[in-house]
Amino acid sequence: MSITIYFAGTRNQKISRLKVRFWESIRAGILKNNTAQVIEPPSAAEEEDILPEEFVMVERTQPDGTVEQIIFSSGGNVDVYDLQDLCDKVGWPRRPLSKLAAALRNSYMVATLHSVSKSAGEEGNEQKKLIGMARATSDHAFNATIWDVLVDPSYQGQGLGKALIEKLVKSLLQRDIGNISLFADSQVVEFYRNLGFVPDPEGIKGMFWHPKY
Amino acid sequence: MLLRCPISFTPPLGKPTPAQQRHAATAVSAASVFSISDESLSSRGFTFHRTIENLNLDSLNTVFAAVGFPRRDVEKIRVALEHTDAVLWVEYDKTRKPVAFARATGDGVFNAIIWDVVVDPSFQGIGLGKAVMERLISELVEKGISNIALYSEPRVLGFYRPLGFVADPDGIRGMVYSRKSKKI
Repeated sequence: MSITIYFAGTRNQKISRLKVRFWESIRAGILKNNTAQVIEPPSAAEEEDILPEEFVMVERTQPDGTVEQIIFSSGGNVDVYDLQDLCDKVGWPRRPLSKLAAALRNSYMVATLHSVSKSAGEEGNEQKKLIGMARATSDHAFNATIWDVLVDPSYQGQGLGKALIEKLVKSLLQRDIGNISLFADSQVVEFYRNLGFVPDPEGIKGMFWHPKY
Repeated sequence: MLLRCPISFTPPLGKPTPAQQRHAATAVSAASVFSISDESLSSRGFTFHRTIENLNLDSLNTVFAAVGFPRRDVEKIRVALEHTDAVLWVEYDKTRKPVAFARATGDGVFNAIIWDVVVDPSFQGIGLGKAVMERLISELVEKGISNIALYSEPRVLGFYRPLGFVADPDGIRGMVYSRKSKKI
């Protein structure tokens, strides 16, 4: 079994294809049907390797033959209506669509997770939906701040949020942004700590102007 | 479940509750009244600037170094300033050099973060830092940005508090990525 990774551009423009074998995951995959595998780009451990803008993060086959792919993209391809639906699903208060669109446009990087499902035997019949997003604002030189991290509740608990943030951070580091920050609700401080974020480094505190709390 | 709660904070839409209206009124009035007026500062030989035009980046870098920032590449500073939403700096007319500075980045609609707040040590203690901050905040509020945040060193928490900043509201923590602390 080989894993295909698409580099650059959209999924329909294959500029180059790299076939990679992961022996451990293949062995495990052959032993079970319907296994969800997290596919890492080769040498994910080396920060020098350029992360592709879009790639398949997870691929799994359902018992009925449907293949579902979870695709990561840092290209910011977000339909603002899909985003609003996703925000509704996680219970966030509604924000004006025009402001959502502006916020996305003004963000330095928008990372998304989409689920693409293909029914067995039906060529060209794809169902694509937005299931996760995280965005970062930045001055393009020194600092980036991550905002609006969300994962569809029915896709939570699978490590997708973790993967989303890891890839976003890696993309930012590769663009030489040295300071990556965020503000975390108390319940998610541990989540971000496990991803390499430190609260109050050297006693530096996050402060908000006239917060509503 | 971990990711249910948003990181960014935006006001819910629809009719504001009385509490929200009071909050909004306080915020706006806090933003438009300055402790030290423009006239008072100009009579003492200081000029405010709201763009990076005429800002000498080498002089700015010198002020950064004077307050203990690590020395940064001037060209990188230029890139950062070109991608900054709002800038407020004070020029000392006699020397034509910047003596106070602050900038804010963000998404232009919901969130802004204030960075690089500095006052030249020779000009500290006369209210320039406060003057810069009040005007920067006012500009952001006027743009409709409701979430204004910053990261404060422990020794200047007392500078930001009287300006209306609260540390860790509702237990929210500022966090920074550290390559060394990555467990994976």
